[in-house]
Amino acid sequence: MTAAVESVRTLTLREVGPAERGTRPDEVVIALSPAFGEPFTKTIVDVPHAEVIRQLLAGIEERGGSARIIKVYRTADLAAIAHFGAKLSGSGIAVGVLSRGTTVLHQRDLARLSNLELFPQAPLLDAEVFRMIGANAAQYAQGQSPRPVPTRNDQMARPRWQAKAALLHLKEFECIDHARAAVEVEPVITRVD
Amino acid sequence: MTAVAPRSESAVHTSKRTAILEDRPVNLDGFVEEWPEKGLVAMESDYDPQPSVRVEDGRIVELDGRTRDAFDFMDTYIADHAIDVETCEAAVATPSVEIARMLVDPRTSRDEIVALGRGLTPAKILDVVKLMNVVEIMMGIQKTRSRRTPANQAHSTSAKDNPIQVAADAAEAAVRGFAELETTLGVLRYAPLVAIGLQVGGQTGRGGVLTQCALEEATELDLGMRGITAYAETISIYGTESVFVDGDDTPWSKAFLASAYASRGIKMRFTSGTGSEVQMGNAEGRSMLYLEIRCILMAKGAGVQGLQNGSISCIGVPGAVPGGIRAVAAENLVASWMDLECASGNDQSFSHSPMRRTSRLLPQMLPGTDFVCSGYSGVPNKDNMFAGSNLDTEDYDDWNVIQRDMQVDGGLRHVREDVILQVRNKAARAMQAVFAELDLPAITDEEVEAATYADSSDDYPDRDVLADLEGAKSVMDRGITGLDLVKVLERTGFGDVAENYLQVLRQRVSGDLLQTAAIFTGDFVPLAAINDANDYAGPGTGYRLSGERWEELKKLRHVTSAENPEEEVV
Repeated sequence: MTAAVESVRTLTLREVGPAERGTRPDEVVIALSPAFGEPFTKTIVDVPHAEVIRQLLAGIEERGGSARIIKVYRTADLAAIAHFGAKLSGSGIAVGVLSRGTTVLHQRDLARLSNLELFPQAPLLDAEVFRMIGANAAQYAQGQSPRPVPTRNDQMARPRWQAKAALLHLKEFECIDHARAAVEVEPVITRVD
Repeated sequence: MTAVAPRSESAVHTSKRTAILEDRPVNLDGFVEEWPEKGLVAMESDYDPQPSVRVEDGRIVELDGRTRDAFDFMDTYIADHAIDVETCEAAVATPSVEIARMLVDPRTSRDEIVALGRGLTPAKILDVVKLMNVVEIMMGIQKTRSRRTPANQAHSTSAKDNPIQVAADAAEAAVRGFAELETTLGVLRYAPLVAIGLQVGGQTGRGGVLTQCALEEATELDLGMRGITAYAETISIYGTESVFVDGDDTPWSKAFLASAYASRGIKMRFTSGTGSEVQMGNAEGRSMLYLEIRCILMAKGAGVQGLQNGSISCIGVPGAVPGGIRAVAAENLVASWMDLECASGNDQSFSHSPMRRTSRLLPQMLPGTDFVCSGYSGVPNKDNMFAGSNLDTEDYDDWNVIQRDMQVDGGLRHVREDVILQVRNKAARAMQAVFAELDLPAITDEEVEAATYADSSDDYPDRDVLADLEGAKSVMDRGITGLDLVKVLERTGFGDVAENYLQVLRQRVSGDLLQTAAIFTGDFVPLAAINDANDYAGPGTGYRLSGERWEELKKLRHVTSAENPEEEVV
């Protein structure tokens, strides 16, 4: 596969209406941060946002869950984004994702700063991990207790990524719009060969 | 997608030389452009305030361009507790260039420059150090560090939280010369056993080494009060009100915690560093160094004896911007100048490049600081639960050679293999005895053997973690104290270790470790700013590496004998 020209997928988040509470008991809400998809297009390690969404959705689907995506504008705090998503989720389960890739699995009855699983080191999150996160979210939504996604650790992530993470964090904060309520979005993933 | 993936993705043709350069470790490091409006700038920003101070009725009513009604709580704390109201107006009126020259000029005494510093505001201090290049900053550190004799601190941790490993590596670190040892955990509930390992191992390696266990604040204090640890360091402070509030803290709550330690005669210092505020998105548009200077003054105002600074866990942020490592050296200088013990960083994984790791180290190692590293990883970095250090066990011999090359005392020494094996083995046996006496899960002879010869946690038999966690809980539930451990060591034939441990506990009563920059010699003589004051006053003065200590540092693993070049010096 390495010799072939890699195809690139682009993501458009088409707004379908205000973010509302869902009713499906197996539903997972994917709650995205203000800069996710637009203006940013990829995570801190260049995983395209299209790929993040595609893998999360695939993980949820293969475990028999259903998914809904919302985009949040009023905060860039991951815990707040995910907890907000969980409260709108029919099952009470949400995946919160920052545009740089940092991800958390949340549940509506937990305290905001608590979580089911936290993936704090965005540079270590690749397509495979996002798929496993999706799969676990679907299982939590169906009342199961999946094995936590194995955490990775890289002590050299700091020298390479810490400052870029700070920069992306600042940029994400600039995209906060206090006047704009969260919306439900539909992902349009286009393949560009 | 890990941090070791090659960075190059350019499709254009490159030269072979460029390909080689692309593959150099330094290109795995991250570098970013400055963004001063958001505080992503080391120390030179148009958005930092200009120095000013005004006193009315014995109270500071204006600080760095803000009047008291506009103070945030950092301003209030610094104005009310850190700045000398009597001298501040004159001090701030002194030209910055004059103060900077006083810092460098050996004919200006430390006392004089420290006294002047008491009247300065954060913006004025920044204005002074901005005039200094790194060599001048090092000159300043050499003169202003509080203890005459430099020292060093190690991390002793385990990726498996294995208390026997921590004990053996603590013993080795102590015999190699570290004055302080620090541990932390992967699984926090393991803390009591690992803290016991650190203390028992440390006192086996060299009597008088001081230990601490970095944890959430309540447990850390509890272990200190019980005498299982000897000092505390990880009490974090920040340079903006918003970051403080995010952590549910204030300068007053931190000062209260500091006094809790002091009430039991326990040594403690605060921790801060450039980059933390911008990393958390709340730099309020100020440069990293300006905010760190506010932290330093807050620490001084709280009355703690010392500060761990030098960016610490945010080193990737100043490390990525222009002049960042100069700013890190400057923050160490300011802590020393403000008459605080300075544990000067070099304690977190900083760069993929060995050359860059070394250059980041020299501004602290060459002038000497109270603790050059805070700390140096006394375990392989993969076992370092502080997320890796700038130096680890693989660098021991390099460190010893640099000390010998430069004739600089970095606090360590080469130790013969038989001595290292002996203290590692003894530390593990002492732990075996302590665990048996306290009905903790048994330590097998196989584990003792492993500890004697191990490098990393991979070299030890796995422990029954659940049983250990039960044991750790029972240590807390039974109220076991340091004195209980001393008794157990005495009963089980480790009288010398017990004696060392008891001496450390006794110091709480005398309070000698509350003096600025206090450490112990191997004979339990406290060395602190009060009895080992830095008296540097230019060439030929201050701490000089000479005599017995210099002879010790001439020894390396391999040195060809002059007498018989067919042999090596033992």
